[in-house]
Amino acid sequence: MFVQRRTKGGIFAAAVVAAAALVASALPAHAETGVTSSTIKLGVTIPLTGAAAPGYNKIPAAMNAYFSYVNANGGVNGRQIKLVVKDDAYSPAQTLSVTNDLILKDKVFALVGTLGTANNEATTRLVNSQGVPRLFVNTGFSGFADMKKYPTTFPLFPSYATEAKVMGKYLADNFAGHKVALIYQDDDFGMDALKGFSTAGTNFVAKIPYAALSQADPSVVGKWITSIVAAGADTVVMFGVTSATGALAGGLYKANLIGKVQLILGSVGSDGTTLKGLLGPLAPALAGSIAASFLPSPADATDEYITQFKAINAQYNAGATFDNNVLVGMNTAMLTVQALRAAGTSPTRASLIKAIETKGSTWASAAFSPILYSPTSHVGYTGYWFGKLGLDGNAVSVDGPGKYTLYTTDSGSAPVVKAVASRPAMPAKGLPKN
Amino acid sequence: MKISSTYKKVAVLAASALAALAFTSAPTAAHAAPACDGKVPVTSCIGATSDGAPYSMMVPANFNGTVYLYSHGYRYNVDIPSAIPLIGGYKITNTPQPGPNATIIGYLLSKGYAVMGSGFARQGWNGDSGVATDVELINTFKTQFTKTTHVIAWGESLGGFITQGLAEKLGTQLSAAAPLCMASSTVEAELKMAGDFLWGVKTFFDPSIKAGNYSAGAAGYAEAMTDLGKVFTVMGKLQAGIGKELVTGAPSWPDTTPAAVKSMLGTIPSRSALLLIGLMAGLPAQSAHFDGTTGPGSPNSSSYTGFALLGSPALAILENGTNAAALAILATLDVEQQAGGATFDNTKTDYAAQVASEASTYSAALSGSTATNGMLAYLAAAPRATANPAAVTKMRSLLQWTGKISVPEVTMVGVSDPITPAGDSTYLANQYAAQYAAQIKANIKNHLPRGSSNLISIYGLTPTHYTTFDATGSPVTSTPAANGTNHCNFTTAQYKTVADLLAYASTNGKHLSGGPLLTAVRKMGGSTVDLKFQAALPKYYSQD
Repeated sequence: MFVQRRTKGGIFAAAVVAAAALVASALPAHAETGVTSSTIKLGVTIPLTGAAAPGYNKIPAAMNAYFSYVNANGGVNGRQIKLVVKDDAYSPAQTLSVTNDLILKDKVFALVGTLGTANNEATTRLVNSQGVPRLFVNTGFSGFADMKKYPTTFPLFPSYATEAKVMGKYLADNFAGHKVALIYQDDDFGMDALKGFSTAGTNFVAKIPYAALSQADPSVVGKWITSIVAAGADTVVMFGVTSATGALAGGLYKANLIGKVQLILGSVGSDGTTLKGLLGPLAPALAGSIAASFLPSPADATDEYITQFKAINAQYNAGATFDNNVLVGMNTAMLTVQALRAAGTSPTRASLIKAIETKGSTWASAAFSPILYSPTSHVGYTGYWFGKLGLDGNAVSVDGPGKYTLYTTDSGSAPVVKAVASRPAMPAKGLPKN
Repeated sequence: MKISSTYKKVAVLAASALAALAFTSAPTAAHAAPACDGKVPVTSCIGATSDGAPYSMMVPANFNGTVYLYSHGYRYNVDIPSAIPLIGGYKITNTPQPGPNATIIGYLLSKGYAVMGSGFARQGWNGDSGVATDVELINTFKTQFTKTTHVIAWGESLGGFITQGLAEKLGTQLSAAAPLCMASSTVEAELKMAGDFLWGVKTFFDPSIKAGNYSAGAAGYAEAMTDLGKVFTVMGKLQAGIGKELVTGAPSWPDTTPAAVKSMLGTIPSRSALLLIGLMAGLPAQSAHFDGTTGPGSPNSSSYTGFALLGSPALAILENGTNAAALAILATLDVEQQAGGATFDNTKTDYAAQVASEASTYSAALSGSTATNGMLAYLAAAPRATANPAAVTKMRSLLQWTGKISVPEVTMVGVSDPITPAGDSTYLANQYAAQYAAQIKANIKNHLPRGSSNLISIYGLTPTHYTTFDATGSPVTSTPAANGTNHCNFTTAQYKTVADLLAYASTNGKHLSGGPLLTAVRKMGGSTVDLKFQAALPKYYSQD
C-alpha cells in the first residue's frame, strides 16, 4: 500500500527551497520537459538496421557530430544538446514503440529529423496529444505541411509533389518527344508524385507502381523491365527509395538496357554512396543518370556549407564518408540549433514552435531553396536543381560544377519558376549566432 | 515477397482470452441472508440475490471495513458444442467470482480487506442486471458485516462496463472504482469493431457466413454455431495461406473466397485483405505473439524486414481477429435475442474513411495504395448488413455509461487489447476531462482549491520486440502473451498496484499523485500513466 509523503519541517524546507531558487535564478529556467539548466534532450527515430538502413543509418551520427561541435563551443544558451537515437528498422510499429519510449520514458523536448512517411504517420496521434514539436521530418510527403492535422510538425524537404512538378518541367524542357516511363512507390510517397506530375501535365508511356519493399523481389523488378520494354520507353523516371533505384539498375543491366535508357532519379533514391554500397561493381552503370536535389553536391569543394560540414565531419564523425546522408544530418542539426537558440533562454515547446514559425524562414541552411515557414505555413524547402551522376556516384550540376539553377514551386498549382540559387551565408565557423 | 525458405508454419490460433475463469465453489443458498461458514482466518459466505445471482463473500478476521466488489467479464450465454474448435465444450456458468484471480484475492484478504462478487443472474451482455445485482450485493454485505465503511468496485471487460455503470449510479456511495479493460460505453459501440471485422471476413473470404441477423430461438443458435465453425475454419485457411504467401510470394486465398473477389483482387496477397479488414474494424496490428517489428534471422536481412513489415501485421490481425470474430458471433446472437432482431448495420459505413490513417501507416503490408483502393472499392460495392430499427431502439435502451466520475477511479488496459480497445478507456478519460475542467472552473469561481483529478488512466505498453522464432524460422506462438496485448492481460504486479491505488484513494478520498504515483507505476512495469497519453478511439467514436 502507498503513503503519500508530505513535506516535514515546513519552515526549514521553505528556506531550502528559497535558497535553491536563488541559486537557480542564476541559471536558465528549466521548467519544460526535456530541458534542464544544462541540457536539452532531443530524439530521433530512423532505420539503423534492416533493409532500409543503408545510407539512412549515417544520419544520426552526422547530427550528433554537429551537435558535439556546437556543444564543444558552448552549446545553445549554455545548454548541451543530447540526441537520443532510436532504431525503428523502418517499421511503423517499431517507430511507434520507440517513440513511446522517447516521449514517455526519455522525456525528450522535441523530435528531430524522424524519417519516413508511414513512420511519421504512425506516431502522429502520440506526437499531437503530447504537443511534442516534430522538427524537420525526413520525408517529402506534402501532407505533413497540413498545420491542422500536424500542428507541431515541420517538414523540411521539398514535397514530393513539388519535386514531381519540377521534374515535369525539366522533362518538358529537355526531353520533349521522348517516351518516358514512371516507376513509383505505391503509397503516399508515390501518390504525392503522381499529383505533381499531373499538375505539370507530364505524359508517361507507362506508369508502374510497386508496393514498398517489393523491389526486393526479382519478379517485381522483372515486371518493371517488361513494362518498360513493352511501352518502348527510352527514359525512365524512378520515384522510389535508393534500394529501388539499385534494383532497377540491376534489372536494366540484366536486360542489357544500360546506356539505352536514360534514368531520371528522384532525390530520395539517388545517393551515390549508398548506391555504390548496394550495387558494388555495377554502380558506374548509373553514371549519366540525372538526379534532382535540393542540397548542394557533397562533392562540391567550392561550397562553403560543404567545406565547413566536411571539417566538422572529419573531427567529430570519425571521418565517415561525406555524402548526401551526412549532409542531410548536419544540415538538420544546424537548423535545429538555430531553432533552439530562437526559442529563448528558457525554451518551451510552445516557444520552439513559435520561433520556427516566426523566424525559421531566415535561418542559414545548405539548401538553395528558401524555407517558407511562417505562422500560417509549415512548408519547408520548395526547390530543386538537377545534376548528372558521375562515375564516382556524385551528382554534378547539369549547368556545370558549382552552378545551380533552381526550379521552385509549391505542392499545388503554382507554376514552376527557374531562378539563380541563393541562400543565407554559412555562419562563421558553422556556429549560428541568431 | 519471399520471406524465408525456412519459414514453414504459422500457428496463431489461440483463444486463451476467450476462456472463462472457472471457480470451483458453487453457491447453494437461496435469496436471503448469506450462509457463512464462520471459519477463521477467513469467513466465506455464499448466497443469491433476489434475481437469482449466486454470490460469494470472503471476509478476513482482521477485516478493516473496506470491501472490494468484483464484477466478472463476459461469459457466453449459450453452450458451445465440443466440435467447435478452440472454445468448444464451454458450458454456461454463473459461478460467482469475488476477484480477478486467487492470488489477488489472497493478497487483499491478507491485508484485511474483504472481497465479494457474484456470478450474475444471466450471462451474455448483462449490464443492467449486473448493476442491479451489484447494488443488492453491496447492501447485503453491509447488512451482514456492519463494520463495513468503504466499498471499492472493480471489474474487467464487461465487468469494467458494469463497474462504471455502478459508479455512475451510486456515486459517492462507493469510495473508489476501477473499470479495467472496460467495454465501450454502449453495446452498440462494443460490437461495432467485431461486427465490422466479421462482415469483412464474410465479404472477402466466405460469403456463406451469416454474420448476424440470426433466426429466433434454437434455429438462431444453430446458425450461430455454424458461423463459429465457419469462421474458425476460414481463419485456419488464412493462416495456412499466409504462411504460403510469405514463402512463395504468390497470393493464396481460402477456397471459400467468392469468385468475384478472386477475379478482382486475386493478385493481391490474402494477408493484405485480412489486414485491411482488421485495420478498418479498429483491431490492433500487434497481438499476443506478433509485434510488427521482428522477423526471423539477422535484423539486417530482407527476410527479417519483410516478415516484420509485411507478414507480422496480418498475423497479428489473424490472432486478434479470431477472438473478435468469435465475440461478434456470440455477442451478436445474444444482443439480437435481447433486442428482437438484427442490430448490426453498416449500410452507411465509409470503410475507406474509417481506415484512412492506418492505410497510410501500413501501406507496405497492404501491398500499396492501388491494391488498397481496389479492396476498398470492392467493399464499398459489397452488400451491407441492415439492422432492424425496432431492435436498434431496444438495444440502445440498454445500460450505457457516460463517463461521469464522482469518486477516485483507476482504469487500466493494454494498448493492444483486441476485445476492449484501449481507446474505450481514453474515451472515458476524454468524457471525464470535460467534467473535471468544469469542476476546476467552478472551484476557482468560488475561491476554492482547484481540486485534483479523480481519474488515473494506466495503459499497458507493448515491448518493442517480442515475436520469437524457432530454429526453422517459424514464429513461436506458445509463449505467454506480451505485455499490452491480449484481452485483460495483466500481471500480478499490475493487479496489486491497482488494488493499492484504490485502497489509498478509498482511505484518503483522493488519488495518490506526483512522484509516489509515478514510482508505483514504474515498479509494476510495462505501463504509463502519462496524462496526455491517448489511445486510438474505437471506430464507433471516431473515424480518424
